[in-house]
Amino acid sequence: MLILKNSNMEDETPLSEQESLALIARMINKVKCDYEESGLSTLLWGGVITFCSIVSFIAFEIDKPWLYNVWDLTILAVIIQVIVVIRENRRKKYRSHSDAIMGGIWISFGTSMFLISFYASKFQIPHANALYLIVYGIPTFATGLSRGFKPMIYGGLACWALAIASMYTQDGYTFLYSAVAAQVAWFIPGLILRKRYQKAKSGNV
Amino acid sequence: MFKELDPILHSQLRLAIMSLLISVKEAEFTFIKEKTNATAGNLSVQVQKLKEAGYIDVTKEFKDNYPNTTCHITQQGIKAFEEYVKALQEYLKVGQSR
Repeated sequence: MLILKNSNMEDETPLSEQESLALIARMINKVKCDYEESGLSTLLWGGVITFCSIVSFIAFEIDKPWLYNVWDLTILAVIIQVIVVIRENRRKKYRSHSDAIMGGIWISFGTSMFLISFYASKFQIPHANALYLIVYGIPTFATGLSRGFKPMIYGGLACWALAIASMYTQDGYTFLYSAVAAQVAWFIPGLILRKRYQKAKSGNV
Repeated sequence: MFKELDPILHSQLRLAIMSLLISVKEAEFTFIKEKTNATAGNLSVQVQKLKEAGYIDVTKEFKDNYPNTTCHITQQGIKAFEEYVKALQEYLKVGQSR
């Protein structure tokens, strides 16, 4: 690769063809290297869903239905998520092409989850966790694929595999599958993203 | 017959700005300044030239009580950039075959 003689670009000297192509590649690469997700949202949801699923499993085991109210925590998580998104957007100096697409996918996911929860509680559908796991897999797999982030691709696939397993498992035990899915699809990828983000941030100082 | 290279794009800083903007949906002036290492004055002049050519759109607004300039590439800019890259490749192809 050619190194440009003038790196501060103040010079108006005409470029050679090779220099022009090298400059284009260098600038595109600079944007690529700058793009790092904080991982906060994935960690938040991975943690909350794991916790709620485990508490629900305990509720099933010890027969304490009031413990299922733990899912109300997701309302608090939504509020925290909105604050995180607003703060991250304010800090961001550019928007990528995929930001709007990803935003649309995750908002659709949140809305679908809310509607499925309402539907499942109204009609008492059997193996509802299988349905949730199928939906968990959609934005996770889509995000992994579009970002080229393998942990989320595997996370999405794991959600769908666990959804199939849920169809053949007694309802209460499927909460354990939800906990595993939340870890594999969100919490672990979130940890990886967070580590990358902090590394990139310390490198930029 | 060779296509003439677009003189608006065939300049180091303007090409750098366009290469950044083609990679993103929109970018703040400070981001472009940081990535190109250009001075604010020179960058403003080049951004203005690109805007006059219709290659980029510039939006000025307030962010956290501070003025904030955001740039994004237009359809005309994308087309010009693609044609510029195509022309460069043609030049290089001929250069290699000689």
